[in-house]
Amino acid sequence: MDKKIGLYICTGCGLEEALDINALTAVGNEEKVAVCKTCQQLCSKEGKELIKQDIENGEVNAVAIAGCSFRVNYDVFDFGPEILVERINLREHVVWTHTPNNEDTQMMAEDYIRMGMAKLKRMELPEPYVPEEEVVKTIMVVGGGLTGMTAALESAKAGYKTVLVEKENKLGGWAANLYKMAPVTEPFTEIADNYIPDIIKEIEANSNITVYTSSKVITTEGAPGMFYVTINQGSKEISEKVGSIVQATGAKPYEPENLGHLGYGKSDKVITQAMFEEMAKNGKLSGVEKIAFIQCAGSRDENHLPYCSAACCVESLKQSLAFKGINPKGIVYIFYRDIRSAGQYEHFYEKAQESGVNFIKYAEIDDVAENSGKMVITLDDVILGEKVEASDFDLVVLANGMVSTASFGEEMVEESEEDEKQDSESQESIANKPPVIQADILNLQYRQGPEIPILKHGFPDSNYICFPYETRRTGIYTAGSVRAPMDLLETREDATGAALKAVQCVENVSVGMALHPRSGDLSFPEFNMNRCTQCKRCTEECPFGAINEDEKANPLPNPTRCRRCGVCMGACPERIISFKNYNVPMVGNMIKNIEIPEEDEEKPRILIFACENDAIPALDMAGINKYSYNAWVRIIPVRCLGSLNLIWINDAMSKGFDGVLLMGCKHGEDYQCHFMKGSELAEYRLSKVSETLDRLGLESERVKATQVTIMDYDKIPQMIEDFTEEIDELGPNPMKDFQ
Amino acid sequence: MATRLDPNLKNELEEFGVKDLEKCYQCGLCTGVCPLSSNDDPFPRKMVRYAQMGLKDKLIASPEPWLCYYCGECSDFCPREANPGETMMALRRYLTAQYDWTGISKRFYTSHVFEIFSVIGFALLIGLGFLLFAGSNPDMQQARLSTFVETHVIEYLDILMAVVLSAFLLSNVYRMIKFQMGDLLQKVPLSMYMSEVKELILHFLTQKRFSECSDKRMWYIHLLIMTSYTLVFLLVVGLLSGIGGRLPAFQTDEVRSFFHIYNLIGYYATFGLLFGTSYAMIGRIRKNRAIYQFSHATDWMFLILLWLTALTGILIHIFRVIGGDGMPAATYIVYTLHLMVAVPMLVLEVPFAKWSHLAYRPVTIVVTNVKKKYENSIKFSTPAASDESQSA
Repeated sequence: MDKKIGLYICTGCGLEEALDINALTAVGNEEKVAVCKTCQQLCSKEGKELIKQDIENGEVNAVAIAGCSFRVNYDVFDFGPEILVERINLREHVVWTHTPNNEDTQMMAEDYIRMGMAKLKRMELPEPYVPEEEVVKTIMVVGGGLTGMTAALESAKAGYKTVLVEKENKLGGWAANLYKMAPVTEPFTEIADNYIPDIIKEIEANSNITVYTSSKVITTEGAPGMFYVTINQGSKEISEKVGSIVQATGAKPYEPENLGHLGYGKSDKVITQAMFEEMAKNGKLSGVEKIAFIQCAGSRDENHLPYCSAACCVESLKQSLAFKGINPKGIVYIFYRDIRSAGQYEHFYEKAQESGVNFIKYAEIDDVAENSGKMVITLDDVILGEKVEASDFDLVVLANGMVSTASFGEEMVEESEEDEKQDSESQESIANKPPVIQADILNLQYRQGPEIPILKHGFPDSNYICFPYETRRTGIYTAGSVRAPMDLLETREDATGAALKAVQCVENVSVGMALHPRSGDLSFPEFNMNRCTQCKRCTEECPFGAINEDEKANPLPNPTRCRRCGVCMGACPERIISFKNYNVPMVGNMIKNIEIPEEDEEKPRILIFACENDAIPALDMAGINKYSYNAWVRIIPVRCLGSLNLIWINDAMSKGFDGVLLMGCKHGEDYQCHFMKGSELAEYRLSKVSETLDRLGLESERVKATQVTIMDYDKIPQMIEDFTEEIDELGPNPMKDFQ
Repeated sequence: MATRLDPNLKNELEEFGVKDLEKCYQCGLCTGVCPLSSNDDPFPRKMVRYAQMGLKDKLIASPEPWLCYYCGECSDFCPREANPGETMMALRRYLTAQYDWTGISKRFYTSHVFEIFSVIGFALLIGLGFLLFAGSNPDMQQARLSTFVETHVIEYLDILMAVVLSAFLLSNVYRMIKFQMGDLLQKVPLSMYMSEVKELILHFLTQKRFSECSDKRMWYIHLLIMTSYTLVFLLVVGLLSGIGGRLPAFQTDEVRSFFHIYNLIGYYATFGLLFGTSYAMIGRIRKNRAIYQFSHATDWMFLILLWLTALTGILIHIFRVIGGDGMPAATYIVYTLHLMVAVPMLVLEVPFAKWSHLAYRPVTIVVTNVKKKYENSIKFSTPAASDESQSA
């Protein structure tokens, strides 16, 4: 199909006042577009109609909009799946950030038009990947506790067939053993009876849910839409084909044997929260007059669990109120470091206070000892700043925290063969690959290991802020206390969220759409296998384990596992991986179409590769706030800095750019990369290219990687200014002469 | 030895009016907003904490409740509505009861029956006294109090009462000092106290510390009541017969000129007491300030007795002088009523309840000053002493 490009230049939002629109039209005509039109307000009904008319008349089948950022009005400029659309940002990136009616500003706008044209010329309409085999929409939930049951119910209620796998012989999990439960409805002050039996009944009554108790998953193969799961139930082996998976295997209490310093094991009057529940249930609390709860027993303790277990405070509040229910005259002390009764549970805390529970904030528990049949607790009181003693306790309950079920097992060690040692450099590039613990839960038949990778403290979470439930294995979602410590109320919410994600997964996969975070993207990576050198970089560096490999190390892509970040494209030294609408030559062409002024014009040029997820929004916000920055820069958005192929640096340098700045997401412990470690990878790759640059006589300082979070928009002008100053000091790119 | 936690003290404190103690989660905002709290003697948070933890010994030794004048800002700002100001108020009641060795204070504060019956009992006793001993033939033509009761008898009884009540009050004050000083009581030389006498008088007369609260209004009201009360107290106890006639007698049958100094003082005191107590009573009814949110039975008793005392006091004056000859019967009856109200108020409130604050507050200021001075003197003298020992 011949591409008939229509270039539409918007003159609203200050563009007309700041730019020579006729000159821009001239650039369009130089690029031999089929149609080149201007409009006062393209996003208006008339503006859209103008474009629609041209499309309907068959004059145009690819549209370039020169106006605002692609982050706005994307719904307005959607002309259906048959029409390619490219957005040239002359508003936020040009007129709102640069001097109006200025030569440099005009040059910038013209360059962006050329870049847009080059991009559009290299773009193809994506054809969605639909697997040959049938995509199923069944959702499998592993773990039949409160989280798992809630996830199963939510999926089933949404109309999806659901398979629920539980290793015990009955559903209910941890919560089934509780005597009373913390409130789940307003006013959040009254303890509730155990509601697990009701949920089990609801599950049993739902015909969409198939329950396998006394069962475990032996193997999970395949990809979203077509996972093949083998379930072992006693002597039976059951095969299920499912579309997506929710892992809700929960957590286990922290081993109390490790809490000898709090008296556990030394006196049978020191018990765990679970033991309290059992005693309460069996009526063994009569005769207990004075009871102590010690919070953070193991949690927030570098020698035990470095994290807050999140649920214990609310549980202890509940247990103290339950105890008050059994013995209204009983005396309760809660020794705590911080009461963390999040959200509505503040009311529950207040209720406990009003019920006469004594709260004592400790810095350190010095001793828990038995003295003539009663327990004595000695501690460092934070507020008084002195030693405090409380005595005559009949029972001491340790709030012993939780440990993710995903953290039990050996850490997977990568087998490195002798002949691969030479390749240790590429191994290093992914040195901080997240650990996979062989916890024997999903038993994935993935090249990258059998379970979901761990983020920290044994919890297989993905990203701390943006994407709850998302794991680093597409189509598999974690929910509840397996992924992060949380209380029962939170797990229910979590289960619902994960169920929705699982639903989104099967729906998107069935039509070839990408999942989060590029949900709706129809492109997918294609491999030109003729030129593959079996270097394995794509399989190694894919953050989502999407690419398997055969015994000859040929990559075997699983497109439904792919999140379309393009990290594989950036990794491939042979540049055999491309997307229809995002590929190496496309960006290469954009670079080549930027006009580089002669050296004596003293107009240096700096190329910025900016991550679409954080840096581009930050740049746009700089524009919205009218923060002005240096006009030497030209910005190319990338899906992820990890998709940056080093050849682009090469292209930029040989084209005569004086510097290249990479703007990627924040990495490190609280990383914000949507694709786990894209910006980190880019920085690593850059360290490799700098040697090459030095060899060529080009200072490696000309290429620099920075981290930009979305809130750094006010720092952008200074960042750019600092870099241009550095480049200015280095002088012009010597390669300019060879143009 | 570690400090012992006591879960039962809370219940005891509640009898003295401690409220919402358990709501406090120790954020410290109360101490932060308090203009009187200092780093050395921070409150109210510390006191609330002691109370929550049941640290009776620490509470009794604490000067802080007397350093607070209850402007109510802490309660206004408390995010948990734990009413720290009221806790301080209730702690003052508790401490008053603890200082008092007779046990009357405790009963007065914790038993409504005792409170009401003791007041009524005393009143009836006074009334009975008048029935039995008042002049059998009072002048019914002209209001002449000397024909109803002999001034010097009243004066003797006045002085007797002053001595007895002072003895009770001072013994309680001594106990307070003992609690607050602890081990230091024997160590601090008397001269150190003496050097603070000026401060004692200043604080007693002006309640200067109170003026440091952000809202000055309460200080003015308090000062008004205080000065009125003190002036009229001097007239009634000291100058009833003009110290044996050396000065004009306060209680006389003559009709003084309107501008006579005693009259002016009397009018001022009447206005001060009636206005001040009415203001407080209306506030307590309307609950328009933090300090008026919660009214202990003894707060009402105090205000009502004071109000009635002032009212009957001025009525005596009016009935005595009205129309030249006055209204004799009304004068004598109101006089009796006046004493039936004033005596129980003084007997109960001065050593055992609210009036004792007048002594506890300034003394506490002095004691904390002395304590600080002494501790500083120790701190600065110790290194010198060790130098000496080294050179020796």
